Amino acid sequence: MTTKRRRTARLLGSYDDADVEGDVLRTDAVLDALARREPVASGADAAVRLLGALIADVESQRLSSVSITPST
Amino acid sequence: MTTCTIVAGIMPNVTEGRVADAATGVRLATRSDESDLRELTSLAVQGDRTAIESLLGHLRPMVVRYCRARLGRVSGHYHIADDVAQEVCIAVLSALPRYRDMGRPFASFVFGIASHKVADALRSSVRSAVPTQDLPDGPDEGPGPEETVVRYIEAEHARALLSRLPDNQRELLILRVVSGLSAEETGNVLGMSPGAVRVAQHRALARLRQLAELESIA
Repeated sequence: MTTKRRRTARLLGSYDDADVEGDVLRTDAVLDALARREPVASGADAAVRLLGALIADVESQRLSSVSITPST
Repeated sequence: MTTCTIVAGIMPNVTEGRVADAATGVRLATRSDESDLRELTSLAVQGDRTAIESLLGHLRPMVVRYCRARLGRVSGHYHIADDVAQEVCIAVLSALPRYRDMGRPFASFVFGIASHKVADALRSSVRSAVPTQDLPDGPDEGPGPEETVVRYIEAEHARALLSRLPDNQRELLILRVVSGLSAEETGNVLGMSPGAVRVAQHRALARLRQLAELESIA
């Protein structure tokens, strides 16, 4: 099995600009809040609103009653 | 009720409830120390039943969320996505004795299996009969029909837009946001550094935003 080489942020493109770095960190904070199921003010951001809707939908329905039982 | 019997003869403590009730699963997974998880995996590979149960308890909610986000509902239900998630858990259990730690986190092994199972399900054009829900014993405390429909439409819209992203961006956003992994854990699964994950997720979100805006204009 080969181990994938880790890509660094720099390989992905410019990460020097302070504004871009700020945007990247802000995005990370928003996505982190979504991942932790904390309330996020999506405002006019359609992408955040849609991701929030997807999470709400995924979390809404009860888990099916599928279970793993021991073999007899 | 669907009951899957597995050869391993293990009974994880899987309880019924909303996925949100399993929020501790997300928290445990995101906060757990990687070395602890590695030790847990090592014990599980050796057949320690408590470790297997604990490991599945960590992973199952994330796998269910991943499958639900990728596969969506059929006839308004997540039965197929949940069945696929269950298949993933069974496949993981079956593969455990043969698992060898090659330096990559166990979660990448699990989501690798999940990704293949989801792809198989998507390829399959045959949809089996969808069972109906049992009649509730008490009042439904969930959202009303109008709110449910609005949420369903928005979620389907999100899935449609996500499906138009490049595979790596879609996978990244689902793991990071829906499965609830941290940037570090997402990086471990995808073979990227946390910094690369943060840049890539920023670009993926920007692309998703652009697609949503283009659609609203059209």
